[in-house]
Amino acid sequence: MLIREELCTGCRRCIPYCPVGAILVEEPRRVYIDQDLCAECGTCLRMAGCPTDALFEPSEVYEKPRSVRKFFSDAMATHKETLLPGRGTEEVKTNDVTARVKRGQIGIAIEMGRPVLGAKMTDVEKVIMRLAELGIRLEGNNPLSHLLADPEKGTLQDWVKNERVISAIVEFAAPAERLEELLGAIRELAAEVDTVFSLDLITRFDDDGSIPVLPVLDRMGIHYRPNSKINLGLGRPLREE
Amino acid sequence: MTHSLHRRGSVESLRNDYVLLFTPAARINHEGSHEKLREIVEIIAEAGPTNIGSYEIRNIYDGATIEDIRDNLYKAAVPRVRCCFSDRDKVMQVLRKVKENDYGISVTVSGLTDEVLKMADELGMRPHSINLSLGVWGRTERLPDKAVMEIVSMCGHGMLAKSLVEKQADLVRRGRKTVREAAEELARPCTCGIVNVDRAVEILERYLAQGDLESSCGAPGED
Repeated sequence: MLIREELCTGCRRCIPYCPVGAILVEEPRRVYIDQDLCAECGTCLRMAGCPTDALFEPSEVYEKPRSVRKFFSDAMATHKETLLPGRGTEEVKTNDVTARVKRGQIGIAIEMGRPVLGAKMTDVEKVIMRLAELGIRLEGNNPLSHLLADPEKGTLQDWVKNERVISAIVEFAAPAERLEELLGAIRELAAEVDTVFSLDLITRFDDDGSIPVLPVLDRMGIHYRPNSKINLGLGRPLREE
Repeated sequence: MTHSLHRRGSVESLRNDYVLLFTPAARINHEGSHEKLREIVEIIAEAGPTNIGSYEIRNIYDGATIEDIRDNLYKAAVPRVRCCFSDRDKVMQVLRKVKENDYGISVTVSGLTDEVLKMADELGMRPHSINLSLGVWGRTERLPDKAVMEIVSMCGHGMLAKSLVEKQADLVRRGRKTVREAAEELARPCTCGIVNVDRAVEILERYLAQGDLESSCGAPGED
């Protein structure tokens, strides 16, 4: 996003709407957008109602490399390859028909930069590379999969690395018996990244309605929140495996 | 993605907060789903959601009507419906009707796990999968304070800025807006329509009464 400085009156109306604090002021009245901080989410343009139309989105945000920021930050942008809006897959939302996470498996999503802080793609790459060392491959429908240079090593293409996004979701499925090992590795990564991540764990319910991963979490001393997202099993065709 | 999973707050604060997502699976059952979702939007409208939005035309606090949302579903290759409720009975009303009509569209409910499972049991549903929130890891010391986090985490896409929360709290404190007006402004940036305005009111009132939510960034901008 840019500000046409010749049109800007310096009213500062747009500033509070920026989720990443990229709209800055050079006193006394110059308002500008730090292009390194801007995630191209478009919130200022949609929400602030600039009285002089000084905010504008150049077409370059839909081209490399700024397109990385756009597609991983603007909730209204849809990835061309996956047909999915947002930064990840449909995860548990459609698991009843996709069986993305099957019985005996777990699904893990590491939501880099979420909440509030955003993430540099170098930090995202650090996480993918560590998982690659453990033999983990990203979910194919995850948009990050399309940005990999070497899926075996987990490296990103060079042009992606300097970009910054509101969040990018590192998603994968694995056998349930690897849960403890993987959470241990993620715990180590938490100390190495220069941002935050929200951590999701998907599992099928057991036949008796119990949640099979809870004993592992309890044993590892990992807290899970009292709120969750539950797929009610109303999708068709239902995948039970 | 999991934009309704990581809502922060106490059990009490989350008790009357339900996010419902109706999602066809891309390339599996999304073809022909538009009409089904139109009907689902009508069921939601009849119950009276706290908020509802769409990727196509924003949410009901940002100028869209529920009818607009319904009528613009066709614009998406894979249409989706997102909404939130503050009332258990309304959620039950929607889920009961959706189950009866057997649309075959995947439905998730985000809320307190025990409560959602109890509701599913009452409706004779057999939940398929669960996404658990294991919280926030990494440089958590950089995050805003608890009051701001409870509000901004209602927009999982991260479109709701902490500076906007501080700005709106400041306007309430100065008597320029009511708490509800401030809460409705906070709901605007969340295109999906899952910021629960009733809950935002409750959070703002609670923290303003405690003297929290002081601005840390000067609450810039015009009123």
